[in-house]
Amino acid sequence: MRIRILLAIGAGLAMLSIASFANAVKPEDNQATREKGKQIYDRACLLCHGADGKGDGPAGWFIGRYESPRPRDFAGGSYKFRSTPSGELPMDQDLFRTVTQGIPGNMPPYSGLSEEERWQVIAYIKSLNKAFKGGKPVALLLPNPPGPPSDAGIENGRKTYIKYGCQKCHGDNGYGDGKEALDGNLKDTYGLMISPGDLTERASLKNGSSAQALYRSIMTGLDGTPMPSYADTIGGNDKDVWDLVYYILSLSQERP
Amino acid sequence: MRVQLWMPHWPVKCVPDYSIGTVATVFTRVSIVIVTLSILCGTLLTFLLAPEEAQAIPAFARKYNTNCMDCHTAPPMLNAFGQRFLENGYQLPGVEDGGSTGKKKFGDLNLDDVSEYVGFRLVGNAVSSWGFNKQNPAGADAGVVENKTEFTFPRNFVLFAGGTVAKNIGFMVELGHPVGEGGAEVERGFVTFNNLGSHNLAHLRVGKFDPNAFSSYATVRQQLSDVGESQKGGCPPFSPCAFNRVGLAPSAFATKFYGLYDRSGNYLSPFASSLYNSGHETGVDVHGRPFGDWFLYQVGVVNGANEHLGDSNKGKDVYGMVRFDYAKSNYFSASMSGFVYQGNSNAKVWTQEDVNWNRYGLSARATYQMVDVYAAYSVDKINKTPTGVAGLFDSTATGLTIGADTYVTSQTLVSLRYDNLDAGGMLAQRTSASFIGVQAKHFLRANVAIFARSDFNLRQSEGGDTAARNLRNAFFSGIDVIF
Repeated sequence: MRIRILLAIGAGLAMLSIASFANAVKPEDNQATREKGKQIYDRACLLCHGADGKGDGPAGWFIGRYESPRPRDFAGGSYKFRSTPSGELPMDQDLFRTVTQGIPGNMPPYSGLSEEERWQVIAYIKSLNKAFKGGKPVALLLPNPPGPPSDAGIENGRKTYIKYGCQKCHGDNGYGDGKEALDGNLKDTYGLMISPGDLTERASLKNGSSAQALYRSIMTGLDGTPMPSYADTIGGNDKDVWDLVYYILSLSQERP
Repeated sequence: MRVQLWMPHWPVKCVPDYSIGTVATVFTRVSIVIVTLSILCGTLLTFLLAPEEAQAIPAFARKYNTNCMDCHTAPPMLNAFGQRFLENGYQLPGVEDGGSTGKKKFGDLNLDDVSEYVGFRLVGNAVSSWGFNKQNPAGADAGVVENKTEFTFPRNFVLFAGGTVAKNIGFMVELGHPVGEGGAEVERGFVTFNNLGSHNLAHLRVGKFDPNAFSSYATVRQQLSDVGESQKGGCPPFSPCAFNRVGLAPSAFATKFYGLYDRSGNYLSPFASSLYNSGHETGVDVHGRPFGDWFLYQVGVVNGANEHLGDSNKGKDVYGMVRFDYAKSNYFSASMSGFVYQGNSNAKVWTQEDVNWNRYGLSARATYQMVDVYAAYSVDKINKTPTGVAGLFDSTATGLTIGADTYVTSQTLVSLRYDNLDAGGMLAQRTSASFIGVQAKHFLRANVAIFARSDFNLRQSEGGDTAARNLRNAFFSGIDVIF
């Protein structure tokens, strides 16, 4: 009994230390941190995002060529991957998540940098955009997923998918082949053609494919793309949002 | 002076026979037109029916769950990010994690993970159409030098494994199968030790590698790649040996001399890549960027002597390269490189006397959005002409290659390349040549492309039986798959 208690305490302490590690190594956002961040940026990020962070690095043109995406414009552009309302700046944790996990199909994950280095480079990236000095962004409340999905819930999710017009871009079966996509009507803020995500292929979901990540994408939208925020429409009905999330996840299950 | 196209001496086969005439299907001019039109129609249909998605998944892209185009302007040519990835020993630029990103612990490995280290490339001309000024000239192998259209796919299959095994330790092995030569060979196989001393100070390569991997214009990354040379079969050692068809490799990388032999007496083709640009030499080299991103150095020592493995001469060849880069913003990058390659008894003349065969070269490249322009110029020099060929041998030769690629749509690349070779070597044999090639390549996906290409001999008006002059034009259409 005593051993179990000690093990439980030990495990708890270990989990606590792991959970707090990322923030523990987060350096203070000062000139020295930004200078170190610039050094890392110049060797790891500049080639795509450009010397001034405008997304015009020497290798930045080729990912989509004449189509979206181009590397993010840190200096003036909007940010796709946020936990904040549409039109807002991202949280530091949002930037940290993107740097760490990368963007499937577009940007490699930079988890090879130490956590301190990632925070340093984020401090530098924020210094490229004056808007970050204006105020501290506030994240939307992202609740934990409810219990396991039910068949009825997934069916309700299917109806919600249709009700809010998701199929117009993502297609009836989520393949990213909706009419708007096929007609070539979808463009990003640069005027470049953009393809909607293939919801049947989790690896192609750029903002993450967990249930909570999908909830976040629906609520925040992907700024700079045709994907809007649904916070003002479906946002008040958590059950419908989760049913929609589970319906989307059901599209990528293996099929016979 | 015209090249002798044949040497009717001993019927000893001492060089590989690259001829594919025995399996060739001969068409009339009408059928060539029909085939060409069929290919164009097929290509057009494929354009229309092809999926728009251009996500790519070769080994490194699989490992990092990203896109081929993060590293390439158009495969196989690298963009600035890809060049730094290569220099860093297959680790992301600015990172020394041993490529651990995406890796699993040993106990969690499964067969899918192997795909993060292994890939292959299958490339070849499905159809080749040759046109010559003179059919079957004396001395040429029968059935090779004549106007005809051949089905030839595939020409080359390469299986490669590469990546990192630990922090700052990487490797690459390429097992190639040039169909014309038969068999398989390790084209390149080396280990890298990276970031020695401090980040980007020194990266070490040991093994069989391409010396010219880091200059502005790399040897093994061509949009208009070598189509395979056909050399006369049955040539005795240390005797002039005709070649039926040129391989259309970049002239700046070529041997350039007529009348040089390797140490076994095999005739060295004036048009084949060699020395610093050979694509595979065995030795050690070091490169790094100790002063920042604007400057790169490289020094190396290799067996030389144009031997794939082993070293039959007592000397080693040494080389050094410096490169200056500008890569900041505006979707623009530019670089300029210069190299010196010093040979040491690395070839022979027909009297079997050794020569020190050296090369000095410059290359440059500029990339702006959809346009990629590159060029290389090299001077080959044999410092001391052997007494046995004194007065008969030009000890200097030059080669120039200028190329340009541009995307005309998101998935279609048009390439143009000009080559000029001012040949040296035996005065009685040497023949200079100039070619221009144009290619349209459509990427069905970032890693699957179909192409149509045509090369023209700009000196055809000078005529002559030599392969360098006799080729009128050549048309190829094929597929390039990298998985």
